Amino acid sequence: MASLLEITELQTDIRLRTSVVHAVDGISLDISNGETLGIVGESGCGKTMTALSIMNLLPTGGHIVGGSIKLEGKTISNLPDDEMRRIRGNEIGMIFQDPLTSLNPTMTVGKQIAEAVILHREVTKEQAYDRAAEVLDLVGMPKAKERMGEYPHQFSGGMRQRVMIAMALACEPKLLIADEPTTALDVTIQKQILELIDGLRERLGMAVILVTHDLGVIAGRADRVAVMYAGRIAEITDTRTLFVNSRHPYTEALFQALPEKSAETREKLYSIPGLPPDLTNPPPGCRFAPRCRYANDKCRSEEPNLLGETPQHLYRCFYPVGDEERADKSRFAVEQPAPLAADPNVLAAGPQGNGEYLLRVEHLVKDFPVTKGAVLQRRVGSVSAVADVTFYVTAGQTFGVVGESGCGKTTIGRLVVGLEQPTAGSIMFQGRDLSKSHGSEYRRDRRKIQLMFQDSYASLDPRMRAGTILREPLVAQGIGNRQQREARVQEMLDHVGLPRTAVDRYPHEFSGGQRQRLGFARALMLSPQLIVADEPVSALDVSIQAQVLNLMRELQRDLGLTYLFISHDLAVVRYLSSQIGVMYLGKLVEVGPADEVYLRPAHPYTRGLIDSAPVADPSAEKAKEKSGVRGELPSAINPPSGCRFRTRCPLAQEICAEVEPPLVPFSVNGHHAACHFPLEPPIGDAASAAAAAPVQPAAPPEPSWQGPA
Amino acid sequence: MVTGYLIRRILQAIVVTFFVTLITLALIHLVPGGPVAALLGQKANGPELAYYNRIYGFNRPFIIQYFKWVWAMMHGNFGYSIKNNISVAAEVGLYLPKTLVLVGLGLVVSLIFGIPLGVYQAVKRYTVGDYALTGVSFLGYATPTFFIGFLLIEWFSLDLHIFPSEAPQGSTVGQILSQPRALVLPVFCYAFVAYALWSRYMRSSVMDNLVQDYVRTARAKGASERRVLWGHVFRNSLITIVTLLGLSIPVLVAGAIFVEVVFNYPGMGLEFFNAATSVDLATLMGFTVITTFATIAGNLLADVAYAVLDPRVRYS
Ligand code: SF4
Ligand code: SF4
Repeated sequence: MASLLEITELQTDIRLRTSVVHAVDGISLDISNGETLGIVGESGCGKTMTALSIMNLLPTGGHIVGGSIKLEGKTISNLPDDEMRRIRGNEIGMIFQDPLTSLNPTMTVGKQIAEAVILHREVTKEQAYDRAAEVLDLVGMPKAKERMGEYPHQFSGGMRQRVMIAMALACEPKLLIADEPTTALDVTIQKQILELIDGLRERLGMAVILVTHDLGVIAGRADRVAVMYAGRIAEITDTRTLFVNSRHPYTEALFQALPEKSAETREKLYSIPGLPPDLTNPPPGCRFAPRCRYANDKCRSEEPNLLGETPQHLYRCFYPVGDEERADKSRFAVEQPAPLAADPNVLAAGPQGNGEYLLRVEHLVKDFPVTKGAVLQRRVGSVSAVADVTFYVTAGQTFGVVGESGCGKTTIGRLVVGLEQPTAGSIMFQGRDLSKSHGSEYRRDRRKIQLMFQDSYASLDPRMRAGTILREPLVAQGIGNRQQREARVQEMLDHVGLPRTAVDRYPHEFSGGQRQRLGFARALMLSPQLIVADEPVSALDVSIQAQVLNLMRELQRDLGLTYLFISHDLAVVRYLSSQIGVMYLGKLVEVGPADEVYLRPAHPYTRGLIDSAPVADPSAEKAKEKSGVRGELPSAINPPSGCRFRTRCPLAQEICAEVEPPLVPFSVNGHHAACHFPLEPPIGDAASAAAAAPVQPAAPPEPSWQGPA
Repeated sequence: MVTGYLIRRILQAIVVTFFVTLITLALIHLVPGGPVAALLGQKANGPELAYYNRIYGFNRPFIIQYFKWVWAMMHGNFGYSIKNNISVAAEVGLYLPKTLVLVGLGLVVSLIFGIPLGVYQAVKRYTVGDYALTGVSFLGYATPTFFIGFLLIEWFSLDLHIFPSEAPQGSTVGQILSQPRALVLPVFCYAFVAYALWSRYMRSSVMDNLVQDYVRTARAKGASERRVLWGHVFRNSLITIVTLLGLSIPVLVAGAIFVEVVFNYPGMGLEFFNAATSVDLATLMGFTVITTFATIAGNLLADVAYAVLDPRVRYS
């Protein structure tokens, strides 16, 4: 079959002031009509630059310096800009990661879509607008015609991405390039958007290049996958083969770094040591050699070619995974692979896991006022961010809170660390109500609860050296003298695996993962007992994420820490937590032991969340094709009556709108869910169960629950 | 929503006006020896001072003076200039239109040059053309206005004899406009200062916008650079400019005073300058208050324009 797009030995450089980054270094790819090709890799691997090279839309300083790109046999990599323009948006459409910044804020969406039509078709304005309304409808925009005159900020994230897609497809391109199209979206919306792209691909018979860092996204959507590393293709084959029989050590390592792979065993994740190479001056030999556990001298001096037994499966490695030669002892002697042996299971019975409740959150409510009016700012309503949430966190364990953005999980974290005051309810830390304690007792308790931020870069003062940053909490609390503080800083750096010399560096001199470690070290300075970690790994690449997650578990074991772990990523939460609470629109809809909630969810939302989260397993992805959560999150200003999930629930009945479902038990282990029509049978009827499981915090080891009366 | 926004802004404006007027009156009291001494000159003796203090009400509590003054202004009475023997309101009626001619013409000229050249500089950033224009605008805001005025007179009037050195004279706007040749230098001088502001603002605003994601999207649609620039970037850049326009009003007012003094242009600025040198307190106070109103109104107008241009403000 003739290829639609053929990339041969593509080389793209980015010229900086003093150096040249070889962002794409000799890539060959081809893609046929109707096919989906996935390009996967970590940040900086050149995947986005490859996509931008196809469109010839490289950033300032970027140039294609070698190789060729052919579209239907015609070379497009050297076209002058005015000819290239006829291809962009016409024969090749492209969508980008962040749908908010990628749309012109001051132009109606209708006009922006129509512009694409006007640019490439001989049409009148009316015809272009008609076409725009048509594609907007095609991408599943409700009331497409009416919404044409609205501006991007009036749409939700998912709907904006639909606008982007409509714009890219307005001229029915033969190829759609989607660069991280769902990275900025919630999982339920991500699934909807990926399904949309897939459906449109079939309907319009176009080819799709899906660029992503997420192996799960690739698994369910791509026919073939190219794994990129350091500007080159490390491995390329069809999706199924890649997932069952990956040959390149980098691909193997990526899989092993996924938390979902070790979710049940809770073994230590494999984390790729070090960082990707600097592409201004790539290492000689195999580019992965400095981080590869199988590397030997040959790897470090010679570069392997992209080869394979069949032309359908190519990889760039001398000693591919699963090869006979891997038994070669000399190679293992060179660099021992990190042991993948199981940790002593912190969750089951750590030294601290003796069942004491460190934190008891009861009937917690947080409303944010919504004001209106020009002058007096009268209060017209409130956003119900957290609505009657009760949960208990056992000392030495991890309680994971999971949910989509806007579900109130971050507010819970802020309430627990004292950055917000609750509207009602209580937060008991070691038996003392934090909202009622005062003075020195209050400060002492506060010190024992520390927050670890998502974006450690934004939360670290860029003008302070790491040493100062770490000392700051001690200085602020007036703890210790100079030497003692110094010693404490050194100790914490050791704990989080940063070199002691790091004290003299500024935040920008650290990589993302190192900064997260630094943020972690700062949170640990005051020897806290409880760490509230709000999305601590969501900005990191998989291999770095694994490093941080491993570190969090090690320190939990060594220092007896308790975590309140907040994340949108169910796989990460499950891997790290012993208990999970699932939140939806301010409500805790399901809670219980991690595996029970994950494997036998009782609440339809939990089920939908699990089905929406992409997993790196093509067959599993295909199997849950038609599941997920439909629709979008309703407003928390006037949350739906009765069950808040009913507007998106496939099982909703009349009663769901009238009566709010109470949390009822589903097992003796404290698994509770709030649903009138649960997916699993509850144990006993609600009334007797409530009697059987009284709220007696002194009754460990099973946390007990009581639904709102 | 825009109305609510407007009401809030107007209330803010009222608060600002209150403080400015209060400070103005307080400053007058800080004149050495008090306002009456300043009026009568150094030779004035005690009884004279006391007499006039009573006549003008300066012996009453400050707060009473303040409210009487504000009350009078609210009824259109801005005081009476003893020096010029004319009410301040009449003075304003006489001079303000002429100043508006100067400022209006100057602004139009500066915008006509400043906006497109700023865009040009952004598109051709870091080229010789950009650097040259950067040099020009740097001169515009680093050099004192009066100095530019003197240079213009020196070159175009004294050396080359192209334009007269003095601004058009006359008491009506019509008379001023009937001498276009004499208008050239003052208008140009004023425009030059304003041009420097616009071109700098525009350059950085367009440059900021050109690297935004939405520009990449427009290019990915197949839009030409020209279309990207004028169809997408330009409007978004203008939004920034409009806010800055509002913030620049004090600079523009100060510029007008200098230009009028240097070219002897018969406007508010020159009159204000004369009043300051001759300690004509009534005129000074009246003009200050009116300029304050103008500045606040200008800011308000800029905000409204901003709301109209930016849908994010309009619909939120
Ligand atoms: S060639 Fe060597 S270093 Fe490179 S991936 Fe293969 S085993 Fe590792
Ligand atoms: S209570 Fe009703 S609407 Fe809510 S999750 Fe259960 S079935 Fe769905």
